[in-house]
Amino acid sequence: MAIETEFAELRSAEAVTSDRTAKASRGLGGSLYLVATYGVLILAAFIALVPFLYVISTSFKDTVALFKYPPEWIPSEPTLINFQELVQDYPFLRWTLNSFIVASTVTVIKVIIDAMAGYAFAKMTFPGKDALFLVVLMTLMVPFAATLIPLFIIVRDLHLTNTYVGLILPALASPIGIFMMRQFIETLPTDLENAARLDGCSEFQIFRRVILPLVRPGLVVLGVFTFMTQWTSYLWPLVIGTKEEMFTLTVGVQSLRSLFTVNWGVLSAGAVLSMLPLVLVFLFLQRYFIAGSIAGALKE
Amino acid sequence: MGQVELLQVSKRYGDSVAVESVTLGIEDHEFIVLLGPSGCGKSTLLKMIAGLEEISDGEIYIDGRLVNYVKPGDRNVAMVFQNYALYPHMTVFENIAFPLKMTGVAKAETRERVLRAANALGLETLLDRRPEQLSGGQRQRVALGRSIVREPAVFLMDEPLSNLDAQLRVQTREELLRLHARLQRTTIYVTHDQIEAMTMGQRIVVMRGGVVQQVGPPQQVYDEPVNTFVAAFLGSPRINLHAASLDRSGDDLAFRHGAISIPLPQRLGRLARAGASAAEVALGIRPEDTHVMLGASEATADQVTLPATVSLVEPVGSDLFISATTGDLAWTARAEARLPVRPGQQISLRLDLQRAHLFGAEGRNLSHPG
Repeated sequence: MAIETEFAELRSAEAVTSDRTAKASRGLGGSLYLVATYGVLILAAFIALVPFLYVISTSFKDTVALFKYPPEWIPSEPTLINFQELVQDYPFLRWTLNSFIVASTVTVIKVIIDAMAGYAFAKMTFPGKDALFLVVLMTLMVPFAATLIPLFIIVRDLHLTNTYVGLILPALASPIGIFMMRQFIETLPTDLENAARLDGCSEFQIFRRVILPLVRPGLVVLGVFTFMTQWTSYLWPLVIGTKEEMFTLTVGVQSLRSLFTVNWGVLSAGAVLSMLPLVLVFLFLQRYFIAGSIAGALKE
Repeated sequence: MGQVELLQVSKRYGDSVAVESVTLGIEDHEFIVLLGPSGCGKSTLLKMIAGLEEISDGEIYIDGRLVNYVKPGDRNVAMVFQNYALYPHMTVFENIAFPLKMTGVAKAETRERVLRAANALGLETLLDRRPEQLSGGQRQRVALGRSIVREPAVFLMDEPLSNLDAQLRVQTREELLRLHARLQRTTIYVTHDQIEAMTMGQRIVVMRGGVVQQVGPPQQVYDEPVNTFVAAFLGSPRINLHAASLDRSGDDLAFRHGAISIPLPQRLGRLARAGASAAEVALGIRPEDTHVMLGASEATADQVTLPATVSLVEPVGSDLFISATTGDLAWTARAEARLPVRPGQQISLRLDLQRAHLFGAEGRNLSHPG
């Protein structure tokens, strides 16, 4: 879900690469330009990071420290009580497991489907290919809010509410991955497939043995995007899951706010823990991620 | 093993015709070159033989078997691509072994055959490298290795030398010829480079606009081009080709262009009378049959001497290419390298009409109608 987010992230990755083309001229003007550029970037990074840092700081504070004035950035008496409460009093581990099952299943299936569809759209010829691709692209324009209710009715009628299948199935049909994989695969020279064809490969063997290994950075980028989007997806899991044990992390953490009181410490601890896997995924796959997000721009 | 026969093979993309009704027989062991400018349909024809392009019309036989609907991998052909098309994620060994792996050859035999191919091409020390770590020439040899390891009936080569630098191209050309002599496999070679075609092909097939213009041994095609296109496409510098009218006054025919009149020798005169109903013809004389004369000498019956002004002198080491004009007729002559000629100089050009070509309507060669 959250197709808008997914698309926005792709766009911002593109923006970063195009920024690099701006060249600083040498000399004093150049130095000033550099200082100004870094100044703006540091300011933007600071503004983006402050809320995160504050949430992390809050998660280590007890109730007294929470309401101290002026607020403490680094708690004088850090405590793990919020984390303890989160795990003991709420089904936090179950929510984490749910999020993990949904995000990883969607990621695996979607990467496979999108790579196959991308290959078909990029390299195969079949009647109505362009029209079909246009339809796929057009579905990008439909906001999720517009399909939310019909989708809910379908899933409810299929008796899939409060099930993993109900959480996973609609997320598989997102066109952005197909579009992305098509762009990646299109950059590969056609002669490679032709060579494989002459070497005796079937169409599936070409895909499996030649195309897939060559678009690995693309697969990783798509995988990371999908995992991140699913991990942070909120609206669909909120609509489809009504039982507490079928909540995902996002819905679960949000449910920590009760009607009249908010335990900010526990809420922050939940937010910190739910961010952790994303940070890890990004750190481990950073190399692929950066290579992959600029790969489309660097045609041979 | 390795006969290829094309019967009225055509390829159309919508309304545009890429290859039109090509009929061609290629003998076993033959090295045949498809030659023509970009977009003439030569690569399309090759891909149709390989099975990589569907055929719109016609039939293709390999060793007597109709292969129109046979998959590329089952046609017993191997192809070397212009950009080599090596699998970037595989080592040299894996690249060469790939076709054997896909056809289920046992591991031990694969290893033996890959090593044999690698030895033949001098790739023994590079087997663990990936394509990105190889030079252009080495990649080319790996691509060759991948095609010879299968021991196919027919080799298809699509401009395999065009990405190499000039020196390496000459060297690889020789290697390819040696390889062909050793393996004795039918080879269909596509190029737009006439030197490659002339030096490598046992026969060449000149194509233009999807249509075969002429098929024959290189020297024959050079000496007896069937039309102005073939005459102009083969030969560097280009053949001197001038359109003019036939002057039929008097007993002898003359080729007239403005104030310039070139009397045609009897052989060409006869041909012109028989073949050129239209008054417009074209005269073609190759630069090596256009001689630069600095002193006076007697011309034979088949020679004509014209005064000319040198406009450009291009030394290429072994020869001089001299461009000169007579009125508004431009000539290029191939002359001895150390001939003292400079731009602006007045010279005499002696045209050897015995070896000239007369082209009639639609550019057909009246001297060699093909």
